[in-house]
Amino acid sequence: MPCVWAFFACAGFCIVYNIRGRMLVVSSLGGSAGWLVYLLLAPLGDDVVQFFLATVATAVNSEILARVFKKPATEFQIVALLPMVPGGGIFYTMEYCVLGNNEMFIRTGLHTLGIAGALAMGILLVSSLFRLGSISAARKNGAR
Amino acid sequence: MDYDRLVNTVADVGYLLIANGAEISRAEESMRRIFAAYGAERSEVFAIPTFLSISVSTPAGRPVTALRRILSRRVDMTRVDLANSLCRRVCRTTPDFSAVSRELRRISARRPFPFPVQVAGFAVVAFGFTLFYGGSYADAAVALLCGAVAKLVCRLLERLRTNLFFVNVAASFVAAAIALSFAQFFAQLSYDKIIIGALMNLVPGIAITDFMRDIIAGDLIAGLLRLAESVLVAGAIAIGAGIALTAVRMLWGV
Repeated sequence: MPCVWAFFACAGFCIVYNIRGRMLVVSSLGGSAGWLVYLLLAPLGDDVVQFFLATVATAVNSEILARVFKKPATEFQIVALLPMVPGGGIFYTMEYCVLGNNEMFIRTGLHTLGIAGALAMGILLVSSLFRLGSISAARKNGAR
Repeated sequence: MDYDRLVNTVADVGYLLIANGAEISRAEESMRRIFAAYGAERSEVFAIPTFLSISVSTPAGRPVTALRRILSRRVDMTRVDLANSLCRRVCRTTPDFSAVSRELRRISARRPFPFPVQVAGFAVVAFGFTLFYGGSYADAAVALLCGAVAKLVCRLLERLRTNLFFVNVAASFVAAAIALSFAQFFAQLSYDKIIIGALMNLVPGIAITDFMRDIIAGDLIAGLLRLAESVLVAGAIAIGAGIALTAVRMLWGV
């Protein structure tokens, strides 16, 4: 069920980012799929790792879609990653700060940072790998 | 070849890409490719999210330069997409510059979704994320309102030309204040889920993904700028919601 809500949320963002028509549905489905991967990886028991792998899956998916539809990969990626952005973490961190609960504030804050880091590493990994791929393809074309 | 017009056209393409939220590496590479397609061998391109500069040397060795200051940026993927495919076409067919500028004007004339639809978009985001984070349907209904009002606040403040930081503080404050007031009267609402849902609208997801891509591509300054921007926005959101939490607690005496 969360995947369905992720779809709605992503579709809303498509409107904000002016992504129209078929692309709206495709990008939003990417968001749901990413969250599905996250949920399926729940047995791993470490949510930072789950976030990392789900980000990798989403990013790979975006790069593939970009090649299928001949569109910039960002178009799929910015929307599909949104369910993974730790909005809840930011809020609870702030709430503990306001409440003066320092121990929970630090703990939630670090955890949120960890998730943000996992997202960044996931994107870094995939987009570096795809860059390697496209550079070697360009070399081949040049040599021919 | 008319190098003045070449440089102007390329600067317009780069401006269009960056001002609508394309990655810096994409914009720089597009500009470089267009130069190469028109046979300008010695070209220099440099862009950051707020500025771009390009320079070509004519065969006679005279440098031709253009600078563009990018004051306002928004995310409009349809325009990025169109500008991107225009670049590919230009590189393949090298049409004359007036055709390219005509096409550029046509792309910049494309409007985003009308304002009421954008408000609805914000509302749907808030609705979706509230349910996504485990809120009830009643929570989501309140979030719908919070999201729409947050968008209205953003729009109003952008009209007044306030800075990014203040826009986010204000929007986040208003959204959180509405959520908390509702939660005050209807005890079964969970205000945290509503606020998170509404605030996801403001969370700089785009900046988080973009700064990583920029840094990987070697655009370190651009990446750091975006990182600073996303930290600033995240801070602003937290401060806005924090003020609301404290103020409402004092007001209603909880």
